[in-house]
Amino acid sequence: MKKTPTYLMKQQGGARIGLLAALGALFILYAFPSFVTSPYVLHMMILLFLSTIMGESWNIIGGYTGQYSVGHSAYFGAGAYGTLILLQSKGVPPWYGFIAGIVVALVLSLIIGSICFRLRGPYFVLASIAVAEIVRLTVLNIPSITNGAEGILLSDLPPFKLGETVITDFISKVPFYYIGLTLAVITILATWWIQNSKLGYYFQAIREDQDAAHSLGINLPVYKNIALAMSAVLTSLAGSFYAIYIKFIDPTTVLPLDLSVQIVLIAIIGGIGTIWGPVVGSLVLVPLSEALRSNLIAQGLINSGLVSENSGVGVFLKEHLAHAHVLIYGILVVVVILFMPDGVIGFVKKMTTRKKIERQGRP
Amino acid sequence: MTSSLFTQALISGILIGGVYALIGIGLTIIFGVMRVINFAHGELMMIGMYMTFFLFTLFGIDPFVSIVITIPLMFIFGAILQKVFINRIIGSLPQNQILLTIGLGLVMSNFMMLAFTSDYKILTTSYSSSSFKLGEISVSQPLAVSFIITTIITAFLYWFLMKTDTGQAIRATAQDREAAQLMGINVKWMSILAFGIGSSLAGTAGALIAPTYYIFPQVGSAFTLKAFVITVLGGMGSIIGATLGGVIIGIVESVGAVTISSDWKDVLVFTIFLLVLLIKPSGLMGKSRM
Repeated sequence: MKKTPTYLMKQQGGARIGLLAALGALFILYAFPSFVTSPYVLHMMILLFLSTIMGESWNIIGGYTGQYSVGHSAYFGAGAYGTLILLQSKGVPPWYGFIAGIVVALVLSLIIGSICFRLRGPYFVLASIAVAEIVRLTVLNIPSITNGAEGILLSDLPPFKLGETVITDFISKVPFYYIGLTLAVITILATWWIQNSKLGYYFQAIREDQDAAHSLGINLPVYKNIALAMSAVLTSLAGSFYAIYIKFIDPTTVLPLDLSVQIVLIAIIGGIGTIWGPVVGSLVLVPLSEALRSNLIAQGLINSGLVSENSGVGVFLKEHLAHAHVLIYGILVVVVILFMPDGVIGFVKKMTTRKKIERQGRP
Repeated sequence: MTSSLFTQALISGILIGGVYALIGIGLTIIFGVMRVINFAHGELMMIGMYMTFFLFTLFGIDPFVSIVITIPLMFIFGAILQKVFINRIIGSLPQNQILLTIGLGLVMSNFMMLAFTSDYKILTTSYSSSSFKLGEISVSQPLAVSFIITTIITAFLYWFLMKTDTGQAIRATAQDREAAQLMGINVKWMSILAFGIGSSLAGTAGALIAPTYYIFPQVGSAFTLKAFVITVLGGMGSIIGATLGGVIIGIVESVGAVTISSDWKDVLVFTIFLLVLLIKPSGLMGKSRM
């Protein structure tokens, strides 16, 4: 009698449960604004979606293809600026203007790719940073088009028409919630597709061993460029979405090196090269930075009685912890790289398999 | 543009290039010995700037004299960083090394921001804006002094690496870590030494430009990028290359600011960087010859 290997059975069952869980989560997320109307909670959810979109997009080039771009702010900025410049100068509604962002990001990614993919490893990282810096400085120095350091402030949004429904109310966060959710689902689906398609296998082969992939007939520059282009397009969507949601962009918010690093972190902390890694990373980073920014943590420490409010430590925490979220980011990166280089997901997996091995004895 | 203006820009470019060379040499030694690209290099320089600032404001020690204190302190700081953090990721994936050093840089700059706020600090000495005439050309006095100091330090470093046993051991480790280990060289100690030297050079550079530059916690990242440009231009791992690269970048910046515009000088620097990466990624002075 032929037995299906247990590990295969487990995996299939796991996949089915995973799919059900994902669908259930999607349903809950879809219905979420009907139950929760607090703008603050919705705002948090939108930030979560935005971070997920950025992390998943980067994951395609960084996680699956193994090319660590630390210049993704360039594509984010392309989306944001492309959309808003068209809206300001030509009155094109952002619901179509985002296409301009995509085109700019696509062209940019092809230029960057053809330059940078001739380089490997650390040299590629350095080149990607240099290109992003050139983009930032250029945007800063052509105020006739981009408004320079002042940035672009969006006053009002044209109505959004989708078939019969026309949405004009953009003070409410609900439309943005659904746009964000849709985009996040699209990027997750794209990642899922990449993980399981032939194209994705090419990407992963390049990540595992460039030379071996090359000798098997994979055209390295072409597939690296495809991966970068996909990643860039999705990142530019995040940029467009950010621009119409926040309604203000300038080079220091949508184009800095910090943003590129932050995008990488989302994926790294969750677990790179996994579908849910960026989601987990967002779930860690967004609430953390928000809690720090709104002083929840300092308040919590005081309320729990760990730190007295009037002591020097309490006053210091209250005054400074709000500015410390980048510091905490930095500490997180160091801890993650040193102790769980495969991110939270990899760490959890390692722990569970270790437990399993302990329970079952050595295989 | 008059030729005297050009010469003026050239001279000040060379002078600031001396400081850039120090930053570049530090980065290149670290890369040479450990194959780790230190993304926190500019932050080390920033800490050097703050040290100098406080030594001056609290104790009245002249910035150029204070390097006697800054150098050993930064050496110890760098050695501790190496022992505690960097040492664990030698030989691991380059991206992890990059992210770790980025993380360390974030911690340093934001810690300084928490401790001393992000206000710009200015270190004003009696000679901060004084200059002397050299024919038609006026030369900034603090820059000239710092250039002399960088020359002395660089010369001393050459002597140390070329002539002393420890220096030769560092170079051997850079050439081939395993072979060096087989020859009985304590490569771990060499790594600590290299990171210590690298960070004290960055700290010295910070001290030297403190009298002529704004001091704030985020000043580092611009210099980190500059340090990469300098080392890649000269050839990763080459000290002569880094010296040359520093001076070239200094000249490009200063002459570019005069001939094109100061807004675009950084674009010029990064474009040169990309061109070097494309045309000759090994840099001016080839590969890992220290």
